[in-house]
Amino acid sequence: MVDTSHEESKTLTIILTEGPYRSQYVEMAHNIAESALNNGYGVNLFLYMDATHIPKKNQNPHSFPNVGERLKHLIKKGAIVRACVRCATARGHACDKTSYLSGVSITSVYDIPGWVNESDKVITLSG
Amino acid sequence: MDSVLIIVDKAPYGYEDTFSGFYVAIACLNRGMKADVLLVGDGVYSAIKDQEPGGSVDYPKVGELSYLVFPEGSIFVHKESMQDRGIEEDDLVEAAQIINDNKLYELISSKTKNTAFIRI
Repeated sequence: MVDTSHEESKTLTIILTEGPYRSQYVEMAHNIAESALNNGYGVNLFLYMDATHIPKKNQNPHSFPNVGERLKHLIKKGAIVRACVRCATARGHACDKTSYLSGVSITSVYDIPGWVNESDKVITLSG
Repeated sequence: MDSVLIIVDKAPYGYEDTFSGFYVAIACLNRGMKADVLLVGDGVYSAIKDQEPGGSVDYPKVGELSYLVFPEGSIFVHKESMQDRGIEEDDLVEAAQIINDNKLYELISSKTKNTAFIRI
């Protein structure tokens, strides 16, 4: 039996550009992130462009699963979630610190090279 | 991973995506990471020189953004996509490097190991 306990955890970074509900990309990102977390990966999720709508509080979809609730679950399981400040500000989310779910950082696109550098896999989900 | 290839396949101005792709490339280069941009499909319109967006399309000139990538990074423009759209070499910014299907294959296969392919 091979002892793998000393091995470092691998890291997956997901760059998501699509907003909630209009497409299935957010659900795909959630599923991939959850599966990676369950398999011992560290997971980074960078929200870019319309994806910066995803962490908005008080979403109340009637016909779809609530993407905010799913994101909260991933954060609780250890996913690191950051949103692009340029994109979030353009969409009115960065000016009011209370608009986002707790655990989501508003940073910048300059985090992407750092995350790419520490990642074993990078997946982009873009329409 | 120590480099990125940003793939842009949408036209500038019609979508935010082109600018966002270039911004990722610029951020990577500014942080010392190797970054190149591949323009394919409608993305080749981004490399046309002398763009003058104005009026209702008050966006940055994407052709000028290419000079924030070049020469540290390359701007690859897919030849067959250009031909499909009637775009010729003289129509492009100087930073553009035209590559055909064979060169594109070589580019992708040479970057497979430690490169993140980021399609915006």
